[in-house]
Amino acid sequence: MEKPGLRKSLWQIGTWLTNILATGLALLWSVPVIWALVASFRPASDALSRGDVWFSDTLTLENYLHAWSMAPFGRYYINTILVVLTILVVQLVTIVLAGFAFANYQFFGKGWIFFFVLLQMMIPTSALLAPNFSTIRTLGIFDTRLAIAIPYFGSAFGTFLMRQAFISVPRDLVDAGVIDGCSWWQLIFHVYLPPSIPSLVAFGLSSATWHWNEFLWPLIITNSDKSRPLTAGLVRFTQLGEIGAQWSLLTAATLMVAAPLFIVFLIFQRRFIQSFVHSGLK
Amino acid sequence: MNIARFREPTFIGWGNYVKLFSDPYFIQVIKNTLVYVLGTVPISIILGFLFALLVNRKVRGIGFFRLAFFHPMVLPMVSAATIWLFLFTPDYGLFNTALRFLGYTGPENWTGNPNLALLSVIIVAIWKNSGYYMVFYLAGLQNLPEDVFEAAALDGANSWQTLWKITFPMLRRTTLFITIVAFIDSFRTVDHIFVLTSGGPSRASTVLLFDLWLERFEYQNIGSSAAITVIFVIVLLAFTVTNFITSERKEA
Amino acid sequence: MKKKFLYQIFALLLILGLLAGACAPAKEPVQEKPAQAEPTVAEEAAPTAEAEGEQAEEPAMEPVTIQVFYPVAVDAPIAEILKGYIEDFQAEYPYITVEPVFSGGYGDVQTAIQTTIDGGGEPPALAVMLATALYDLINADYIVPLDGYIAGMEDGDAYLADFLPAFLDNSYYDDQLWSIPFQRSAVVMYYNVDKFAEAGLEPPTSWQTWAEAAQQLTTKEGDATNWGLQFPSGWPYWLFQPLAIGSGQNILEDDCTVVFDDPAVIEAVQFYIDLSAVYGAMPPGVQSVWPTATTDFASGSTAMITHSSGSLTGILDQAEFEVGVMPYPGKQEGTYASVPGGGNFYIMKGAPQEKQDAAWLFVEFLSRPEYVADYSINTGYIANRASAYDTEAMQAYTAEVPQALATRDALQYAGAELATQNLGQVRGIFHDYLQRAYNGEMSAADAMAAAQAEADTALADFCP
Repeated sequence: MEKPGLRKSLWQIGTWLTNILATGLALLWSVPVIWALVASFRPASDALSRGDVWFSDTLTLENYLHAWSMAPFGRYYINTILVVLTILVVQLVTIVLAGFAFANYQFFGKGWIFFFVLLQMMIPTSALLAPNFSTIRTLGIFDTRLAIAIPYFGSAFGTFLMRQAFISVPRDLVDAGVIDGCSWWQLIFHVYLPPSIPSLVAFGLSSATWHWNEFLWPLIITNSDKSRPLTAGLVRFTQLGEIGAQWSLLTAATLMVAAPLFIVFLIFQRRFIQSFVHSGLK
Repeated sequence: MNIARFREPTFIGWGNYVKLFSDPYFIQVIKNTLVYVLGTVPISIILGFLFALLVNRKVRGIGFFRLAFFHPMVLPMVSAATIWLFLFTPDYGLFNTALRFLGYTGPENWTGNPNLALLSVIIVAIWKNSGYYMVFYLAGLQNLPEDVFEAAALDGANSWQTLWKITFPMLRRTTLFITIVAFIDSFRTVDHIFVLTSGGPSRASTVLLFDLWLERFEYQNIGSSAAITVIFVIVLLAFTVTNFITSERKEA
Repeated sequence: MKKKFLYQIFALLLILGLLAGACAPAKEPVQEKPAQAEPTVAEEAAPTAEAEGEQAEEPAMEPVTIQVFYPVAVDAPIAEILKGYIEDFQAEYPYITVEPVFSGGYGDVQTAIQTTIDGGGEPPALAVMLATALYDLINADYIVPLDGYIAGMEDGDAYLADFLPAFLDNSYYDDQLWSIPFQRSAVVMYYNVDKFAEAGLEPPTSWQTWAEAAQQLTTKEGDATNWGLQFPSGWPYWLFQPLAIGSGQNILEDDCTVVFDDPAVIEAVQFYIDLSAVYGAMPPGVQSVWPTATTDFASGSTAMITHSSGSLTGILDQAEFEVGVMPYPGKQEGTYASVPGGGNFYIMKGAPQEKQDAAWLFVEFLSRPEYVADYSINTGYIANRASAYDTEAMQAYTAEVPQALATRDALQYAGAELATQNLGQVRGIFHDYLQRAYNGEMSAADAMAAAQAEADTALADFCP
């Protein structure tokens, strides 16, 4: 504190080091996808080989066109977006309510109920295929987007996450809210939710990513293009067991499928803006 | 498949468990799983925390840094693993080229070498998951009350002290959450193993869920697969519940 | 309090665990033959299974809709192709509607069908699954024998005789026919004709000349090596089988007998090892290079690879040299070997009779030479019937791509693909020990002896 000038320059050096470290790691982490991006513009007829794994002489869009023509991707995009949004909206309601109940109330058997919620996270998905299929059949909604979404309307993971976020809210705030006469839903909206938005966003990103990329369950529970998601198109390029890998085609299809998520992430990551670093440690 | 002809259900009590634990393969699977979990969970969490600190700033373009760390999570695992298969190619694969540049002279056949196969799937898992945990740490950081940091700054704490004495302890709940999630994830992801090594060579990279899948869909042995499922759930529960109880007790 | 809670949880789990284990099926063999095809099936099927497709069907036929589950394992627009065939088929059989359902890879098709049946649903009438899945499907009671339909045909014997014999190897069990070949491939050896010519080499005719050629074509380029041969072994039984067959002993005799510890098989394992250890002609140990081998070959770096015939189209597309295709050379001079692979049509038992019958008509339709030829030309699979090669389209195609004939010709040296009772486990055991031998963790003889012993145990429950 006695030499603010020195301290300031030290701080600047620290910032620079942080920047260098961040840039280095970010590049390192991105190499696979940068390669995939480059490879997706490589003509399929140009074999990758030693000393020639990046750009070839020509750039081409043929891989994207080829991949696009292999399946009705336009319809798949719509289906995936609808399924993911449906799941997300319902989940946000259920996990907020469940997380609120576990964080705010004491009730009989709470420990056990929470235990069973956690238990649900641990059952291997392969063990759930047949029972879920059976339920969908009983409901008579086979081969619909709803059938893909319904098993995920509750989320143990999300409930757990929201409970963790809600119990971090200082008790004083909750008590103040109660004294002010907040109803339970006002408590949720005015006391619990505002500080938990980043957790909700984190959950939303993870849920969207997960359901965007799921393929086995949708493949089993739908059988026509009218209800199938993007992964039904992608799996067309990832399971070519009879032949060697078609790198350019696979990378093009992968990036095509993943691109919307990249954009969504860039939009929503703004929710993770911390201010204390600047306000607290200038 | 339910092999009606050959596997009529009969009561064999603990038979399936006894058989499993006297099978040297299963012991190897348990060992592999242990290595895999210990290899992925702590490193991914530490990296996730580090990434979160690095990108928890209000700087222009920080979104792209966040994307750089998070995007592997967004990629479908099957595609990501196939891309890595290329990176692992001996001789001209990028991973080996980079390692050689750093002075590495060891074996380059990552997925076919019994000593490296498990490591190669661990590397891919860490690459894929660290950014995922970063997101939860970012959310946790956002939840921290600012006044504590202001107070610390007034007390003259440097950023290193703030980090270890204040930030990290206050993220305890987030860390508990991430640890449990990372632990469960490390048991539940197998797609990359299918693509990269098929559990081989000679089962050197077969972990519990992969084994479960083999028993259920490849060997179609419903008895064994049920027993493995139970073991699987018990292990995860034991970890979660213990972790939970020890960590939440402090708050009571 | 907390501690007690913990104990309660474990007590509960232990009880659950015991219950799950207790009610789990054990491997108790029930010794009975699969139900004989009921003769009524044949008689019922016969009237609809008339071979003369040109004639209009009886107008009174009830409309029927069938589903076909199929995988895509090659880079070809299978969905489009099938759609075209289905339109032709429906024009001929207006009362039948065929719904093709793409279900992922081969494994996904089986998982989807299994889930459907376990979940109480009606399976598709027709599915394309691996030819080697035969015994698993029979044991699970998922499929029906097809003899009735063959008997109902005008000339059923001629129909069957027209299929390349190697492709019917995995269709029979218990003197009954259970599947019809559809998208089939074979293991072949690709070689760079230009490199062979430059080095003054002839295509190999025995292990000896093969290994020597590979050795001679292995060249150093700075630190890097251009290998003479690449032999993928991440999922090794398939590409290994032609080595064993070429050595004089296939690794299986029938659904209950595997032959892993025969001296000829051990010699074949040793040959793989020697290719790197003695000849230095390929990288040592297990090579998980299935996806990269084709590009290494096509870019001209590797002189020879062993791979699926299905890769031919992709390789021809990329290679800027003349591509040679042949079966593996055998151990003895002038002998060769190969092994078939790929998927067959299966008719599912859980579908109602009229759907099964309609499914058969579709199978029969797709077996017509012109469709077999067309499918082969558009997908790279081997045309599976002899008559397909006489069609004009195929003649034109093979004139342009003579390698397509070489893949067919390789099949005359083919032995049966590994298909046994309890296949997953037997194959797992074989992979395990074969890779141990490849990686030098065990000697070839020890590894194969151990594999034999374990496989015999795995088969014992299934083979009374």
